[in-house]
Amino acid sequence: MRRAELLSRILIIIGIILAVGAPLYFWKSTPIIHAQMADDGGWSPDVIQAEVGKPIRLKFTSDDVVHGFAVGQMDMQSMDILPGKVTDVTLNFDKPGIYTFFCTRWCGLNHWRMRGTIEVSGSPSDPEPISPPLYVSLDLDIDAPHDAPIIPSQTPFAIRGESLATQLPINIYPSPDYYLSHSPYQVFTDLSNTSLSESQRWDVVAYIWQSNTTKESLENGKQLYAQNCAACHGENGAGDGVFADDLAQAGEASMQSMSGAMDMMMQTPVDFTDPTRMLGASPALLQGKILRGGMGTGMPMWGSIFTEEQIWDLIAYLYSFQFEYEK
Amino acid sequence: MAKIELTRNPFIKNAIKSRYPQLAVFIVMLVGYIFAILAGLIGTPVGSHNFSIVFVWIAWWAVLILVAVPFFGRGWCAVCPIPLPGEWLQRGAVLSPPEKRPKWLNLRVPKMFRNIWLQNISFLLLALFSSVLLTTPNITGIVLAVMLFAAIGLSTIFERRAFCRYLCPVGGFIGLYSQTAPIELRIKDKQVCVKCEGKPCYNGSAAGYGCPWDVFPGGLTKNTYCGLCMECIRTCPHDNIAINLRPFSADLAKPSTRMDEAFKAFIMLGSAMIYAGVLLGPWGTLKDAAYGVGTGAWFIYAVVFLAIIFGILPGFFSLGLLKTKSNLPFKQRFASLSTALIPLGLMFWVAFSLSFVLTNASYILAALSDPLGLGWNLFGTANFAWQPMLTTILAPAQTLALVVGLIWSARTAQKSASEAGVSPLPIIFYSFVATSTMLWLLL
Amino acid sequence: MNPRFSLLLFMMAGMVVAFAPLPVPAVAPQARIFRIDARQYAYSASELEVNQGDTVIIRLVSADVVHGLYVDGYDVSVEADPGQSATLTFIADKPGSFRFRCNLTCGAMHPFMIGKLTVGNNNWLFRSIGLAMLAVFGVILSIKQKA
Repeated sequence: MRRAELLSRILIIIGIILAVGAPLYFWKSTPIIHAQMADDGGWSPDVIQAEVGKPIRLKFTSDDVVHGFAVGQMDMQSMDILPGKVTDVTLNFDKPGIYTFFCTRWCGLNHWRMRGTIEVSGSPSDPEPISPPLYVSLDLDIDAPHDAPIIPSQTPFAIRGESLATQLPINIYPSPDYYLSHSPYQVFTDLSNTSLSESQRWDVVAYIWQSNTTKESLENGKQLYAQNCAACHGENGAGDGVFADDLAQAGEASMQSMSGAMDMMMQTPVDFTDPTRMLGASPALLQGKILRGGMGTGMPMWGSIFTEEQIWDLIAYLYSFQFEYEK
Repeated sequence: MAKIELTRNPFIKNAIKSRYPQLAVFIVMLVGYIFAILAGLIGTPVGSHNFSIVFVWIAWWAVLILVAVPFFGRGWCAVCPIPLPGEWLQRGAVLSPPEKRPKWLNLRVPKMFRNIWLQNISFLLLALFSSVLLTTPNITGIVLAVMLFAAIGLSTIFERRAFCRYLCPVGGFIGLYSQTAPIELRIKDKQVCVKCEGKPCYNGSAAGYGCPWDVFPGGLTKNTYCGLCMECIRTCPHDNIAINLRPFSADLAKPSTRMDEAFKAFIMLGSAMIYAGVLLGPWGTLKDAAYGVGTGAWFIYAVVFLAIIFGILPGFFSLGLLKTKSNLPFKQRFASLSTALIPLGLMFWVAFSLSFVLTNASYILAALSDPLGLGWNLFGTANFAWQPMLTTILAPAQTLALVVGLIWSARTAQKSASEAGVSPLPIIFYSFVATSTMLWLLL
Repeated sequence: MNPRFSLLLFMMAGMVVAFAPLPVPAVAPQARIFRIDARQYAYSASELEVNQGDTVIIRLVSADVVHGLYVDGYDVSVEADPGQSATLTFIADKPGSFRFRCNLTCGAMHPFMIGKLTVGNNNWLFRSIGLAMLAVFGVILSIKQKA
């Protein structure tokens, strides 16, 4: 064979090997965590191993739509994971345990199912005592009906309530424990031994609820609500979020299936502007519902995601659909 | 306008006669093509950031339809990598012919397939799935790989480039539209060919291979089936073959009488209009139907797609023709006058592609730096944000393309009509209505 | 007639059709509020019509994943997550027809998630059809002359 022919063939074969080999090599040697909508598989892999005190560097990419990444109960900025782009995240854990990471940008009805775990191994430095959440220590049945038999005829106004409260002989600055464990309706009935009219008593309730939160907490709660809750419960809390219809449909579908009772019973999201429901619920009860989730109703379990403080901020904001606070 | 013989320039001539420049381009193309297959299969599933989608459907498509076809005809076929591995196996060499030829079947393609109906079908098959193909990297990767292996397989069974000539979904319309291009490969002097013994341009010789496109260069009158592979320039012992610069649309003066080519013109015209409506229009239901391959809506879409191409468009065209009086049989009139739709269809595709390409060209830079979506930044352009380009001149440019296409088509209609001895007016009116529809869809 | 002269005449007529100023109907500008629901891969409403000079206020509501809305020609955009609708406000001072499209990758058909905003009359379409008519007229005339 002539030299030119031989050289050309070698060149072609090298070219083909490079064209096949190089992409395969780099693809194999770049570990990337892929994010997809939950229906298509969610995170892959969805279990990550890490060690206490050793920073772990992760690469994320999205295979379909805009996603986000954050680790539950950790003080971190959530990172956007954009389609076809790679996001670098460096994490550092100082306590062992199982952490939950989750998608932070809504990516469909099942967005909240897009979760994974990080198993952090290592010796615990100082085991912290774990106290059970308030709703457990109060032994609340969070699935029991809790409707308020009486509701205000107009939106309770905290500023009116403040001036009324100062005239009251009783201690109207109940401890935080009192606020957390009582529903607005219970406080309303506790105030029945005063000389106030019904609407005045509701105003005082509004004031008590306002004095147990801060503007910063409400702002934080509002943000958490917009990012995590509004897609189902609606931007104005009316239970009419963009996924409400999908949830209702999914609920009907599960009712119709043969094993309806065993299947998930998707429900339409709760309307936070409904006073009967909201004024009969104590913060502790709401905490239970948020921590545990709706057990198959479509309401996610937030216990592994939010910190305790975040949950109280969120609950404070939820009541603002019922009360008019000082601006 | 006179023709200019480009091969008279010694530099051009030597660059063509030598096999090395072409081989160098071939290797680059083949490596790029195989890389595109791999990128499609293992790269990010996000089309707009995957090399396969961005380079095939944005970069290659833009070059093909806006530059290569209008100005160089089958210029793309001259550098296309798809037939190469098969052809090299078939020939037993990558350079000039070897002493001993490998023994493949070398069958002749059966007569019933020696037309472009298979190409019409393969194009339509891709067209019906185009919404998925255009947007899903692994589907694009698979289709590219299938074409490569189909070409290899056909090379081992049939003689010459059976894939290019009879099956390639792209080759069909490139051939049709290459008739409008200002470039051609032709013989210089007919008498030399008549006297030439052995016809090495068709049968091959020690200097080169017989025409891979199964064409006898001596009989070339139009570009449709000449792949510009340059082989005959190397084999011609009499230096009788030239590459000429010529006026646009020179081949259209000799209208075809073949139904497969006539329907190719309708297929291309119809798909450009359907794409303009489905992909660039504001109607979500159409997009859902086109993307939902396998669903009921998609079947309706497919039926409507085919009905427009094989029913409505040729139907109205025939209605217009029925009004004309001529001694020619109807089929012949139909085929010959459909020549007018060739420049029209080409400019429809130019107008459609301008919008798609200018809107998405910015993806090219990002994909260049990170072709597999692995977080690379090879040229520092990986984070180049999506930004439509030249939005202000897009609409005028589309109008210009479509109006030029209409004038071009009307003049072509006039020529074919006078050959067929009929009035061109119904066909001109038909082109005007089609152009107005396209304007409405795009603007 | 001299064919060059008639060609020149047609070119000039084409210029007039393409560029002659049209009277702009005097309509008092107003604020136009639209709610656009975005889902994979369509907007609804997908065709908006306003008068030139109107203030366009688009409230973008995403119904499944994060979507954006970018208006060609105006080069303005907004993005909305499900549950966090967003508002885009701009003054429609340029007449004509403009595509608006999703500018945040939202799945396979994302590049074709398109709507249409028409400001005033879509004059360029009418001018273009006018040019096409003129072209046809010119070609027919030249055929007649040769015959």
